[in-house]
Amino acid sequence: MIKAEHVYKTFYTPDHRKVEALVDFSIEIHKGEVVVVIGPSGSGKSTFLRCINRLEAIDKGKLIIDGVDITDRRVNMNKVREEVGMVFQHFNLFPHKTVLDNVTLAQIVVRKRDKAEAVEVARALLEKVGILEKENNYPSQLSGGQQQRVAIARALAMHPKIMLFDEATSALDPEMIGEVLDVMKNLAREGMTMVVVTHEMGFAREVSDRVVFMEDGRIIEEGTAEHFFTSPTSDRTKLFLSQIL
Amino acid sequence: MRFTLRSLITLVILAALLAAAYYFFITRGISYIWHWESIPEMLFYYGPKSAEDPSVHLRMGILMIGFVMTLKISVVATFFAIIIGTVVGIARLSTEPITRWISSAYVELIRNTPLLVQIYIIYFFAGSMLRVSAFAAGTAALAIFAGAYVGEIVRAGIQSIDRGQMEAARSLGMSYAQAMRHIILPQAFKRIIPPLAGQFISLIKDSSLVSVIALADLMFQGQQAVARTYYAFEIYFTVAALYLVLTFTFSMATQFIERRLRISD
Repeated sequence: MIKAEHVYKTFYTPDHRKVEALVDFSIEIHKGEVVVVIGPSGSGKSTFLRCINRLEAIDKGKLIIDGVDITDRRVNMNKVREEVGMVFQHFNLFPHKTVLDNVTLAQIVVRKRDKAEAVEVARALLEKVGILEKENNYPSQLSGGQQQRVAIARALAMHPKIMLFDEATSALDPEMIGEVLDVMKNLAREGMTMVVVTHEMGFAREVSDRVVFMEDGRIIEEGTAEHFFTSPTSDRTKLFLSQIL
Repeated sequence: MRFTLRSLITLVILAALLAAAYYFFITRGISYIWHWESIPEMLFYYGPKSAEDPSVHLRMGILMIGFVMTLKISVVATFFAIIIGTVVGIARLSTEPITRWISSAYVELIRNTPLLVQIYIIYFFAGSMLRVSAFAAGTAALAIFAGAYVGEIVRAGIQSIDRGQMEAARSLGMSYAQAMRHIILPQAFKRIIPPLAGQFISLIKDSSLVSVIALADLMFQGQQAVARTYYAFEIYFTVAALYLVLTFTFSMATQFIERRLRISD
C-alpha cells in the first residue's frame, strides 16, 4: 500500500541550518496494517507522513502509494490525496463552516457527490464518531476532542484507503485523549490501513501491527508493540521509552 | 447602543464647540448672504426639463445627477477593484517568479504615482486610442488604482490564514484553486473587511478626481453649479454632505456585515 525506497528529505531552517529529516528511509506498509511511528521530536516522523501525501516533496528516492509512484511529476497528486486521509495535530477544521459543512465540502467539491448524498455520508460518520448532535455548530464552539473527532470524520468522508494521523492527540487536554483514541482504535479494528505518529504506547499495544522507532531521519528499530515493551534492543530506544512510559 | 455618562460629556463638549464656532462667525461679522434656499432645487425640482421636454415631473437637480453618477462610478470601480485586487493578491504569493514580478511591478507602479496623473494618462491614451468613454476611462483608472491597494490587503489576508488550512484542504484532494476559493479566501475576506472598507471609502472620495476629465460626477456638477450661481459655500457644503451620505452608509453597511460574519468566531 505504501512503499518508500531510499527516501531523502532535507530542510533548511530560516537561519540556513541543514536538517536531514529523512535519510535513506525505506519502509513497506501493507493493506490493513496499522503502523505506529514513535521517536523524539525532529526525528522525521511527521515529515514521513507529510511526504506520503506530498504536503512535502521528497528530494531523492521512490515513494509508491497504492501502486502510484508519487515522485513522478505527471501524477495528479489531487487524485492520490483523495485516497489518503490525514488528521492533524491542530485539527485544522475550517472555522467558517459548520461541522456538517466541514465534512460535506470535499465530498461535493472533490468527489462530486450531490449534496444529499454528501450529507448522508457525513451524518453517518458524525454518528460513528459520536458527535452528530453538534452538526450545526461551528468548530470554535467545540472542545478539542470534539474537533478532532470531526476532523477524523471529515477525512473518512472521502472514503480513503489510507489514514495518516500526525500526533492527533498531542494538542488535547488529557481527559479528551481517550475519546479520540477510541475512534482511532475502532478504525484500526475495521481494517483501515493506518500510519499513526503518536506517543500513546497504550494505543500501540492495543491495535498496532508494528511499531517503528525513528531518530535523525532513520529507522532505529522496528517490531511489535510487545517487542518494544519487553525487549527493545537499541540503547537509544530504551532511553526514549523510559522517557515516555 | 448604550449611553453612559461619558457619552453625555462628549455630547456637551461637542455642543460647546459648535456654539463657540457659531459665536465666532457671527461676532466677526462675516458679511455673507447665504442662499440655502437655492440648494433644494439642485437636488430635486418639480417642473419641465427644457424647452424640448416641457412635461412637468419631479426631476433630479444638477447635484443629484452628479450624486447618482458618483454612486455609479464608485460601485463599478469597487467591483472591478475587488476582482483586480484578488487576482493580484494571489499572484503576489505565486510560486511562479514571473507572475510574482509582474504583480509586484503593478502594485509598485500604481501605488507610487499620483492618481490624478493616472486618470489623465488613461483618459487621453485609452480615450483617444481605443475610443472609450470618459466614464469607462475614469472608472478604469479608479479600479486600477484601488486594485493595487486591495491586492496588498488581500495578500496580507491570505498570509494571515494558518498554513494548516491550506494543508487540510489539499490533503482532502482539493486543488490549489478549490482550496483558495472554498477555504482560504472566504476566511481572508472576513478578516480584511475593516481595511477593505477604508480602501473603498477612499475610492469613493478619490472618485471626485474624475471631474477633471469632464465626467459629470458630484464634484463636476458642483463646480458647474458654482460657476452658474457663485454660491460656492452652500454648494460645496452640500457636495461634501452628499459624499458623507455615501461613505457613511457604506461604513455602516460594512460594520453590519462584519457583525453578521462574526457568528462563526
